[in-house]
Amino acid sequence: MTKTDKKSFNQSLAEWKLFIYNRTTGEFGRTAKSWGLILLFYLVFYGFLAALFSFTMWAMLQTLNDEVPKYRDQIPSPGLMVFPKPVSALDFSFSLSDAESYQGYIDDLKKFLKPYGLEEQKNLTDCTNGTFFEQKGPEYTACQFPLALLEACSGVDDPTFGYQEGKPCILVKMNRIIGLKPQGEPRIDCTGKSESTAFLSTYPSNGTIDLKYFPYYGKKLHGNYLQPLVAVQVGFGSDADVREVMVECKIDGSPNLKTQNDRDKFLGRVAFKITMHA
Amino acid sequence: MNRKREIYSVELSGTKDIEKTDKEDGKKSRGLKNKCLERKKNHQKEELKKELDLHDHKLSKEELETKYSTNIITGLSSAQAAELLAQHGPNSLTPPKETSEIIKFLKQMVGGFSILLWIGAILCWIAYGIQYSNDHASSLDNVYLGSVLALVVILTGVFAYYQEAKSTNIMSSFRKMIPQQALVIRDSEKKTIPADQLVVGDIVEIKGGDRVPADVRILSTQGCKVDNSSVTGESEPQARSCEFTHESPLETKNIAFFSTTCLEGTATGMVINTGDRTIIGQIASLASGVKDLKTPIAIEIEHFVHIVAGVAVSIGVIFFIIAVSMKYYVLDSIIFLIGIIVANVPEGLLATVTVTLSLTAKRMAKKNCLVKNLEAVETLGSTSIICSDKTGTLTQNRMTVAHLWFDHQIFVADTSENQSNQVFDQSSATWASLSRIITLCNRAEFRPGQESVPIMKKIVVGDASETALLKFSEVMLGNVMDIRKRNRKVAEIPFNSTNKFQLSIHETEDPDDKRFLVVMKGAPERVLEKCSTIMVNGQEQPLDRSTAEAFHTAYMELGGIGERVLGFCHLYLPTDEFPETYSFDVDAMNFPTSNFCFVGLLSMIDPPRSTVPDAVTKCRSAGIKVIMVTGDHPITAKAIAKSVGIISANSETVEDIAKRLNLPVEQVNKQDAKAAVVTGMELKDMSPEQLDELLANHSEIVFARTSPQQKLIIVEGCQRQDAVVAVTGDGVNDSPALKKADIGIAMGIAGSDAAKNAADMVLLDDNFASIVTGVEEGRLIFDNLKKTIAYTLTKNIAELCPFLIYIIAGLPLPIGTITILFIDLGTDIIPSIALAYEKAESDIMNRKPRHKKKDRLVNAPLALYSYLHIGLMQALGAFVTYFTVYAQQGFLPSAILHLRVEWENDNVNDLEDSYGQEWTRFQRKYLEWTGYTAFFVSIMIQQIADLIIRKTRRNSIFQQGLFRNKVIWVGIASQIIIALILSYGLGTIQALNFTMLRLVG
Repeated sequence: MTKTDKKSFNQSLAEWKLFIYNRTTGEFGRTAKSWGLILLFYLVFYGFLAALFSFTMWAMLQTLNDEVPKYRDQIPSPGLMVFPKPVSALDFSFSLSDAESYQGYIDDLKKFLKPYGLEEQKNLTDCTNGTFFEQKGPEYTACQFPLALLEACSGVDDPTFGYQEGKPCILVKMNRIIGLKPQGEPRIDCTGKSESTAFLSTYPSNGTIDLKYFPYYGKKLHGNYLQPLVAVQVGFGSDADVREVMVECKIDGSPNLKTQNDRDKFLGRVAFKITMHA
Repeated sequence: MNRKREIYSVELSGTKDIEKTDKEDGKKSRGLKNKCLERKKNHQKEELKKELDLHDHKLSKEELETKYSTNIITGLSSAQAAELLAQHGPNSLTPPKETSEIIKFLKQMVGGFSILLWIGAILCWIAYGIQYSNDHASSLDNVYLGSVLALVVILTGVFAYYQEAKSTNIMSSFRKMIPQQALVIRDSEKKTIPADQLVVGDIVEIKGGDRVPADVRILSTQGCKVDNSSVTGESEPQARSCEFTHESPLETKNIAFFSTTCLEGTATGMVINTGDRTIIGQIASLASGVKDLKTPIAIEIEHFVHIVAGVAVSIGVIFFIIAVSMKYYVLDSIIFLIGIIVANVPEGLLATVTVTLSLTAKRMAKKNCLVKNLEAVETLGSTSIICSDKTGTLTQNRMTVAHLWFDHQIFVADTSENQSNQVFDQSSATWASLSRIITLCNRAEFRPGQESVPIMKKIVVGDASETALLKFSEVMLGNVMDIRKRNRKVAEIPFNSTNKFQLSIHETEDPDDKRFLVVMKGAPERVLEKCSTIMVNGQEQPLDRSTAEAFHTAYMELGGIGERVLGFCHLYLPTDEFPETYSFDVDAMNFPTSNFCFVGLLSMIDPPRSTVPDAVTKCRSAGIKVIMVTGDHPITAKAIAKSVGIISANSETVEDIAKRLNLPVEQVNKQDAKAAVVTGMELKDMSPEQLDELLANHSEIVFARTSPQQKLIIVEGCQRQDAVVAVTGDGVNDSPALKKADIGIAMGIAGSDAAKNAADMVLLDDNFASIVTGVEEGRLIFDNLKKTIAYTLTKNIAELCPFLIYIIAGLPLPIGTITILFIDLGTDIIPSIALAYEKAESDIMNRKPRHKKKDRLVNAPLALYSYLHIGLMQALGAFVTYFTVYAQQGFLPSAILHLRVEWENDNVNDLEDSYGQEWTRFQRKYLEWTGYTAFFVSIMIQQIADLIIRKTRRNSIFQQGLFRNKVIWVGIASQIIIALILSYGLGTIQALNFTMLRLVG
């Protein structure tokens, strides 16, 4: 910095100080009136902008339907998701000897299956198997999904969902999409990937998803809707050293439910890993 | 041999010492940009002028031969010459040191916002590095972003570099010169060699029309005259001889300087200095020592970059702190920081500015202003003082007949560029006689082979006055050569400084009249002395007292307005004394030289260019002070200044007031005088304070008889007034002043290469009016740059708000960083350039030049208007679009508040929307990209509206016209097309984050 530059810096600092508060006139840069007018201008201006924004938003919301979103083109095909919800990544890991290590999973499953309780399903319709349950309204009802279909994974006979026995259950569900009607006979097909001796059983048998649970009419009309579930139970051969298995489940038997998307790893499929320690 | 070289090296060390101090000084001033030091340096320059260590002019021929171990008759031997050439290098001026191309390139890479973007890119890569070390499958988004940022910096850098290089290239092609040749005696033979091969001791021959190839000590001459104006500023031709006439090497007649022109005659001389060691070389190298000032626009852009970078960094840091304290991960906070920086920095703006400037530069080149330094385009617009040369810039640089006096009357001749409009009364018989004298008593001739060239452009062999008279008579009478042929010349006494007249004797064209006609022209008082009668209306009358008085009045009047006056007279010789066969002897003067008949007076001036008065008036109304700085006589200078309006018709100098009031000059109140004519002698005695006072108190100033060094002092004086100073010049020794000025303007035709090198701008037609065009363009570009910047800054708020809201309200990100780059560098570029084509808003040349410290390019009103008014409106508009896209797909505004964590969690693949549907992570991501695209299109459309808003700053859009600037519409079309391509053409490229938007419903 040269002398002249320094001087100008000090000067500008002084000017700023003077601008912020001028001792002699007792002003903060401008007269009180000027500040007042500026404040008033911005109040009015921003008030108007806020009103305009609110009005457009309101008008936009008026064009929407409460029951069905305006467009559903971005979710043409459902994703698959598993329960219990793993903490990080789809990696279920627990220790057989340590009940604490799988208690979280059990709680999660119980919580998830709560709407499927007998008491909750009492008012639901017992629909015909194998056909779409189409309704015209104005009242919409949901089809029953008896927990018994999940057999060993229903939590009825075994409240630990097989975890205590070393045969953990994982529930697979298909994402809800309004108006979706699967073609063919959709089922969820799960296979073990690693060279382990693990064997998989699916409930209901064959992993069938019944068409009577479609179509879905949205949260508002179809509030008590229960989505169909498929349970996968993993068993390990007793002599296996590696009690670890990579399971991949995907939708099968329905041409309009996509399962192959390079960018979406959960579209019509889901892969998870189970590691069981002794 | 050895001893002799020793002498030479002693001689050399004199200049070396000076060079050394100069170099040391250069280093110092590089370290400390101290004005004080600079002034000291200039002082040293003055000293150098006095201390020129050259004594060769005092030596005799023999001493010179010994000193340079050469021989006047045989010259150097080729071997000697080669050895000396190797020792001292070629005889050419070292071109000013140019910054190396790599440095220039790197400067573009780190200048402006580039540093910020580099930081952003590096942060991106660091963020990815951290992510990768935690999770090997982490997404490559940050790598893409970092690469894109780096690419942006590199591309804009390359672009700016290319633009600069292109404009520099125009210059270098312009600079190309035909290699100069020199006639040299070596090995007893005359040889023509390239001038840069000359060495000291060479014997060279120079003839009229040549450029002196080096500093030469004259050994013998024949009527040699040189034009020293580029060294000493004297515009009169200087005679050269071999006598030592003055102590100072600059004044003595036996030295001719490198790069001056030999006007006529021939000379033989010995080369005593070559290349940078010549006088010119020393002046030129000093000029390159004057530091380049930052151009006003560079200062403005720097100021703007500081503001924007300051805003970007401070908002970034504030939100970094907020994000960290809101318990975001530091890594995420860093990514927010990058987003904020990218949103805030107008990446494309600097490139736009470069393009805009080069567009204007091109436009100016078409109007004969060649701009060497792009930024100088604007400097001319903010110019508040123009220090203009007289000769060539304000005037036509050729003597022209301005007035005639005959029949006791003064007639005005047309002095415009083509002189076609001569309206004075040509019916008088006196005019017939006068025109005959003008035609016959003249040695100048047109160079042959120019039949098709207009008279005014024909090349003439002869001095300036004779040329003027020749052209004048050619215009008035037609074919002069033919007239001369018909009136055969029988004898002639050429003009010389002791006689002060020129005389020739002719046969007349009338075959019946066998008398000889003696015609004479010369200094009026000398001509009158030789006359006994005077011609009035074709009749000879005795020359009495009253007619003599009338003559004196006319002479004083014409002389008083700075014109060069010549008297004309003639005499018919009686046939009885001088029969047809009479042989005239010029040396014996066997004919009468008195009792002539006085015919008339004629006065000449270098007249102002016809466009100049208008241009000066325009400068006036544009608030620009025009100061004339000339080496010419004060009377001539003042006369020209008055005729072009630099001194307006009703303003007076102190001397004028004194004369009018009949007071001594000292008693006149200096405040009363608007105008001032200051000579170099007066300026020499002035203190800087007095000069400041002079510059501040007088609005119309003429500096006459100034040396080029004083020009520098004047420029510095003006700059002390906080003025942006433009200087015009052509001579080598104008180059320090040209460099010192905020904008140096060199003359393209008359200018020396050194002047062109030092200047920022070259006037191809040497015409002052071109400067006014330049001023207009410069102001226009400043106005339009304001528009461009306002336009560009507006969307920054719309780009920034998404990040702030994303951090604070946890909405899914409304617009991605890469998408922002596509606005800044894609859709917005062409429209912002289009604003440069905007026409001037009416009053551009009627307002004062901007004050360089007060009228900033980016000021608070502009920033507030862009950021807080239009910018905010744009942000709101874009948010409406964003919310619409989400709501129509199922996520109502209330649902997406604080949804960010779940939304971005890769393990949540069944996120429920407001309608109960469940979304996988990728489906959400795709929706997010649709949001980006919608937000992008929304900003783009609002920018179209913004573009139309920004077309005007003062006028209404209807005054300015919606369709006058067609480029704007090209810009709008480009925006739409680019957006369409991005959305529909590139929607499938994942890294770009664009999706196809639904067109209808």
